[in-house]
Order: sequence, then C-alpha cells, then structure tokens
Amino acid sequence: MVAWIGTAVRIGLAVVWAWAGLAKISDPQAAAQAVRVYRILPESLVKPFGYGLPFLELALALLLLVGLGTRIAAVISGVLLLVYIGSIASVWARGISIDCGCFGGGGAVAASKTQYWQEILRDCGFLLLSGWLIWRPKTRLSLDGWLTA
Amino acid sequence: MSQHTDRTEDVMSNKNDGGKRSARERMQAERAKQEAAARKRRQLTVILAALVVIAAAVVIGIVVQNGRSSSYNAAADAPAGTVGNTRLLIPVGGTTAPSTVTIYEDPRCPACEQFETGMKSTINQLLAQGKIQIQYHIASFIDRHDGGKGSKNAANALACAQNVGLFHNYHDVLYANQPDETNDAWADKTILISLAKQVPGLDSPAFESCVNNNTYGSWVTAVQSDFDKSGYNSTPTVLLNGTSAYSTYNGEDISPANFTKWVDTANKGKPLASIPSASAQALASPTAHNNLPASAGAGHS
Repeated sequence: MVAWIGTAVRIGLAVVWAWAGLAKISDPQAAAQAVRVYRILPESLVKPFGYGLPFLELALALLLLVGLGTRIAAVISGVLLLVYIGSIASVWARGISIDCGCFGGGGAVAASKTQYWQEILRDCGFLLLSGWLIWRPKTRLSLDGWLTA
Repeated sequence: MSQHTDRTEDVMSNKNDGGKRSARERMQAERAKQEAAARKRRQLTVILAALVVIAAAVVIGIVVQNGRSSSYNAAADAPAGTVGNTRLLIPVGGTTAPSTVTIYEDPRCPACEQFETGMKSTINQLLAQGKIQIQYHIASFIDRHDGGKGSKNAANALACAQNVGLFHNYHDVLYANQPDETNDAWADKTILISLAKQVPGLDSPAFESCVNNNTYGSWVTAVQSDFDKSGYNSTPTVLLNGTSAYSTYNGEDISPANFTKWVDTANKGKPLASIPSASAQALASPTAHNNLPASAGAGHS
C-alpha cells in the first residue's frame, strides 16, 4: 500500500517538474530574465542558470517518472525546492516585485500582483512530496524495483 | 559409565554441531555481506546513473539554449539610422538638441499608449522647437507576460519603418490603433501592414517582406535583452537627460505643462537644435499623422 502511494507521489512530482521545465524552454531569453530579476546571481551566471534549470527540472521529471534513483532524485528535488523557496523569500524580504517564474513567465510585476505567499506554500507542498520519497523511496512500477529485484 | 560416555558423546556432538553451525553462520554472514555489498554497488550505480542523466540534461540544455539565443551583429542586423554602441536605439529629432528624452516602450503596453496619447502633442512640439531629441528603446516583453507575438511583430515592423526613415510616423499610428493588451491582434502581420498604409510612403513590397520575414528579429531580441539588463522593469520608462520623468520628476507629476517646464529648465542657457522647417511644421500641426485621436483602447491599464 505504502509502495503504491509512493508511486502516485513519484508520478505527481514528475508531472510538476515536467510542467515547470517545459514551460521554460521555449523562450531562453525570458527564462534568463526570470532568473535575473531575483537579483541574486551575478550577470555571468544568469544565462547558465536560466538555460540550465529547466533541463534540471526535466531530468528530475524523467528520473521520477521511470523511478530511477528515486531517492537521489527526491533529495535533489528537495534541495532545489528549498533554494526556490529561499529565493522567493529573499525577493519578498527585499521588497522586489516579481513573478516567481516557477512555471514559465517571470519578470517584474506590479507590487499588487505579487503572489509570494501562494508561491511559497505551493513549493512547500511539493517539498512534502519530495520528503515522502526520501523517506519511502521504494515504489511500485519503478526501474529501481526492477533493477534491485 | 554409560552416562559418562553419553555425556562425553553429548559434549562431543555438541562441539561438532557448534562447529558446523558456526561454519554455516560464517557462510551465511559472508553471503549476507556479499549481498549487502552487491546491493550497495547497485544502489551506487543507480545514483551515479541518475546523476549522469541530470548532468547530461543540464549541459545539453545550456548548450542548446545558448545556440538558440539569436546572435546579434550590430553592423549587419540593425536597421539604418539606429544609434548607440550596439545600434539598439532609434533617434528622433535634432541630434544637437540640448535635452535627450529616453523612452522605453512596448508596442502592446497600454500605459505606453496612455503616455503617447496624453503627451505626444507636447513632445512633438518640443521636437519641432529643437528643444529635445528622443531615443526610443522598443521593448517587446509583453509577449512573454500575456503570451503571443504582437509586441515582437510590431517591434520588427517599427524597425522596418526606421530602416526607411519613417519610424516616428508609424510609431504614432501604431499607438493610435493599439489593441487591448490581452488581444494579440498584431500576431497577424497583415494588420501591421494595413496600418502602414496610413503613413505616406511607407507601404511597399520591401516593407511588407521586411514585416513578413521578421527581418529585424535578432535586433528586436537584442533590444529587449538590453532592456532586461537595464534594471528598468516597466514601460513606459521615460528619462529626461537620464533622470526618470515618468510618472514624476522631482516630485511633480508628468503633464504637458510640467514636462515643457522641466525641459525648459534643463535647457536654460543652452542653444537649441535647428531642424528643417518642413518637418518642424509637420510635427507642430495638430492634424499631423502623430496627432490622431485616441484609440478606443485608451483608458485600459
């Protein structure tokens, strides 16, 4: 039963990452700008992160979908989500008004249109999914199970 | 005796049993250890495979996206008459005018349309008097925000107009006919071409192919990239000699009267630019192309 719940969690998190990653790859310039407006990274790192993060998300989606290295994928998912939550909190604390660009888009928005609470809560929800898989990485219908059978 | 013997046998057999058992236990322990080691190896292999997948995806992604971001070459890709280090700016007005007004605008931006509607007569008058020159940055980020292609198409069409020296007129026609922000009407290039017919001398086969082929696409991307890095994050951004003048300047709200006053104050004691009287008259005329009535889209923000 727990293993089946794990399968649902794993696929759920895979869908989240796939959606987040796919939404960011069509316009590299917009992806870079979504990173730039956080004003955390120096300009020289803006493009590597803007271009690379969506593919990190897609790789995590792929690994979780097939259940390969579920625990390490969940650990990296958790770390990434903590980084995202921290970045959003940092932007919020510094009084910058942006869209988090979590699922595409991003960039500056009017101060009245920020949604930091919702964005952080949503990421915390995803963090719970990652936590479950770190705690119980053995799931049904996974490559992990097949490889270690 | 027999008891003794029995006991001896017992002890002996016990000893024997114990020996066998410990051998079996040792074998089992050894096998368990080997299995644990094998499991560990498999786990490490899986982790390694996962990390390889991730690293490969990220590296390939960065390389692919780098290749996709358009390479802009100022010498070859910018429309004629553009200025600035990398020719991203469109100048309007006499270049010797004492004040420079820098305007960042997105063709789909409703606040820009309001700024244009409210201020263009004043700005055109100041241009005609040789008091200001304008440097336009044509941004195109609303396509990202709201989805669509209208900003980029319009920015490219504006570059096509700039290339034949008719940017300013076409710019004013576009703002006078701007669709609602969420209506991506300019995704349809034929609308941009039909609006060009309102500017005498602009519509031509060359202009139409320039619009249809997205000829200045890499320039449009480069201008937006420059805006992204500028630190300004909304349009319109209006600077008077480098100081923000929208929507306030030195604590005063922008208005035709105030803007003229600000420019006059900044220009005090400086010679004005001389511009050809024909273009000065055209700019100052209330019936000129650039003084069209406000579009129905006005008032939306």
